[in-house]
Amino acid sequence: MAVQSDESTNLVGARVKRTEDGRLLTGRGQFVDDLVLPRMLEAAVLRSPHAHARIVGVDASAALAMEGVFGVLTGADIADEVEPQPVIYHVLPDQRATDTRAIATDRVRWVGQIVAAVVARDRYVAEDALAAIVVDYEPLPVVANLDAALAADAPRLYDDWPDNVVGNIEWSNGDADAAIAGADAVVARRMSVGRLLGCPLEPRGCVASWDPFTDDLDIWMSTQSPNLARDLLGETLRLPGHRIRVRVPDVGGGFGNKFDFYPEEIIASLLSKRCGRPVKLLEDRAESFVATGQSREVVIEATMAAKADGTIVALKAEVRTVCGGALGTVGVGPGWLSATMMTGVYKIPNVDVRLSPVLTNRAPMGSFRGWGQPEANFVNERLIELLAEELGIERNEMRRRNFPAPEEFPYETGVVFTYDSGQYGQCLDLCQDSVRESGWPQRLEAARAEGRSVGIGYGFHVEATAFGPSRILNLVGLNHSGFDEAVVRIDSTGRVTAFTGQVAMGQGIETALAQLTAQTMGVALQDVVVVSGDTATCPYTGYGTGASRGAAMGGASLMRATELLREKVKRIAAYQLEAAPEDLEIHNGRISVRGTPSIGVTLAEIGNAAYRRLSDFPADEDATLEERYVFDPENLAWSYGCTAALVEVDRRTGVTQVLDYVIAHDCGTVINPMIVDGQIHGGATQGIGEALYEELVYDDQGGLTTTSFADYTLPSACEVPRFTLHHMDTPAPHIPGGMKGMGEAGTIGGPAAIANAVDQALADIGVEVRAIPITPPRLLDMIETATREGGRS
Amino acid sequence: MSKIDVQVTINGEVYREACEPRRTLADFIRKDCGLTGTHLGCEHGVCGACTVRLDGQTVRSCLMLAVQAEGASITTIEGLSDGVELSPLQQAFHDNHGLQCGFCTPGMLLTAQELLEQNPDPTEDEVRDRLAGNLCRCTGYEFIVDSVLDAAGRQAAVAGDA
Repeated sequence: MAVQSDESTNLVGARVKRTEDGRLLTGRGQFVDDLVLPRMLEAAVLRSPHAHARIVGVDASAALAMEGVFGVLTGADIADEVEPQPVIYHVLPDQRATDTRAIATDRVRWVGQIVAAVVARDRYVAEDALAAIVVDYEPLPVVANLDAALAADAPRLYDDWPDNVVGNIEWSNGDADAAIAGADAVVARRMSVGRLLGCPLEPRGCVASWDPFTDDLDIWMSTQSPNLARDLLGETLRLPGHRIRVRVPDVGGGFGNKFDFYPEEIIASLLSKRCGRPVKLLEDRAESFVATGQSREVVIEATMAAKADGTIVALKAEVRTVCGGALGTVGVGPGWLSATMMTGVYKIPNVDVRLSPVLTNRAPMGSFRGWGQPEANFVNERLIELLAEELGIERNEMRRRNFPAPEEFPYETGVVFTYDSGQYGQCLDLCQDSVRESGWPQRLEAARAEGRSVGIGYGFHVEATAFGPSRILNLVGLNHSGFDEAVVRIDSTGRVTAFTGQVAMGQGIETALAQLTAQTMGVALQDVVVVSGDTATCPYTGYGTGASRGAAMGGASLMRATELLREKVKRIAAYQLEAAPEDLEIHNGRISVRGTPSIGVTLAEIGNAAYRRLSDFPADEDATLEERYVFDPENLAWSYGCTAALVEVDRRTGVTQVLDYVIAHDCGTVINPMIVDGQIHGGATQGIGEALYEELVYDDQGGLTTTSFADYTLPSACEVPRFTLHHMDTPAPHIPGGMKGMGEAGTIGGPAAIANAVDQALADIGVEVRAIPITPPRLLDMIETATREGGRS
Repeated sequence: MSKIDVQVTINGEVYREACEPRRTLADFIRKDCGLTGTHLGCEHGVCGACTVRLDGQTVRSCLMLAVQAEGASITTIEGLSDGVELSPLQQAFHDNHGLQCGFCTPGMLLTAQELLEQNPDPTEDEVRDRLAGNLCRCTGYEFIVDSVLDAAGRQAAVAGDA
């Protein structure tokens, strides 16, 4: 739909072009590395080359003596000055703490842990100085992987822990063991998901400016969560909130990696405090592989059981997430979500799920789009297909028999969550119809006739969005909130400024929130500006811009605030027009009497009356035009979708190519279908990378072997197919505006669909994918083993 | 470290700055010339965000030293639009949602500009093949490919009118 920019109706649901684009297309964006402050210095950090070692001593004297070097920080320098790096999720009843500070004080526990920092005239000089710092390490035995961490005689990462297990939690519903014993078919598998990095194309960075006279900290961060960052900076640096201002420049992608709170932000702040000058500290790409939160790696042993008619009766799962040498900002949160979403979209009466996160000498885990959900979905959606095959039931028929029906919502899963709404069967139909209309079955047959190995796979997913109800999150163990506050203002010229706590990072939130505000107020899109990314001027959002909450939460609160302001505008207009407020309507910035458009007043006139010339302003109204609203949802909003993948495997090389891809999806009310399409495309591409290409590979001494884009292979334009998307738009029942989030969808549903397709492509030799990514060597090995063993055992 | 004078022409303007011999062309463009539209995504020549055109050819400015560019004529993202008018290629990216965070966009635009000069009517496969050296983590490429194909069509339409 083409939209005129001076039109105030039909904005929600329209493919409005983005307001962000102009500056980004012309090189006028301002990313954190583009920021230059007077007298600014640049810093660099020294990282441990050892996965596990005692720090015997650090000698920085040669570095300090170098021309252009302004200071060095070591662990000993900061030990008494800062609190340990914060962990906001405490979801395990017996969760142990790892309490590490921004710079290692006495021991390093992963390759890449920071042991010192230098601030200098520029980054070149700072890196020269790093080379002059001498660190005396005493190596300790390395816990290189999960098995090593769980071994009876495993070295311990923390001497005061009995072992390397962070803690345990279990959820039970019904009697899973009895149900499995009485089932007609049972599948049990050990499956694993590789270690990933979100890889926003812009690495992380910050510029900190600490005024030593007032102790005000002004910091620019490439972050998704400025409000959280301000609170965590305050806790860690022991500063009150009003002394800290976090500003967010243009963000070159986040994907969760920039949700988390990192040591560099503390280090830049302390260096600035010491020098009395602004300090820029960026990670370069090579550093990012060990410095930015890693994700996903998990081993899940799961059992699913069903009756002969396909009804699933039980699920058991043991989830072991492979954490690094310390807990990151979100601790074991993603593992917690993996465990609690193991039931997926199916009605499973008997459930037994256990979670035990384990430490290893790898870099800490953090947030990445999907956040535990892809792992659970991969296992759940693989098991149901294996079970269907065992029972001889068509796989999507098996899915259909176990979906909750639309009238069964809100649906309690039995493990923590209640799904608000869903029409899963309709969504599956939409996907399957599309696959048929695209001629996949014929393409499959034709390819097979040519001797090619082609398969079709499906994956159905739910996505936790609109995160979330603050009090429930607190009860679960999140030491933070989930509400969203919005402020909307009309100025003296009648134009609208929407202030949000959400952050723009490429997802188009500026445009989407402007559309929603403009339509709600009844003004043209060009008469709305969205301001975000500044804790001093913008409202407080709980959490941050992650967990698929930007449009749903940020939109809901802004819509309500705008409605309140619209009512005030109508009251003022009613006073001026001598009409009743309820008889007024606002269209294209003009308030008029419904049915009598000639009688009216413009928003510009109202703005003038509210700020400058109050002679025609009601006596019982406050001057100015501004309202705020805080929205704290009663539940999450659960988006869902069905992914279908058509893949081809080359049996000689183990290379899997995705030929075609369909996603049917429901994320409630869609504000801007163009933006939603783009988000789904991007997430799906990350899902393809997760399924086939991307993996952080550690060696047996805890060394990371994939530290460039030549080794950690992101999908390029040549690996990614075109996407066919189908939208449903069932409004979320409890979110004003009806929006559900959808930012993570593509990463969740993709891996299972691709793995299921690979299985089908190689069904004749009985290859069964149990680990992702399905890299060529891994698949080749499976093909050779299956061929040797002559089919599925 | 002693400095050497480097003179280049960027987007038609002459810049003469003293820099260390080890300074990358990307840092020279960004920090010495103040043209921050050129972005650094990997600094090892894979992601393509730092792509600029040097005497017409695309190069990775993170893999070149500024001193190697002495005397060259360089085009960066800041040189693509004419005044406040977006170029047809930039306009096509805007119209087709060919960007999200915008960090890879400068490199994408310069790579696509070179492609369309060399091959005004590329197939989708040719576009994908040429863009394979520019990583995007946001879009999944489809709308970038659409943007380039759309720009090619617009160019053809303009050429047909002339």
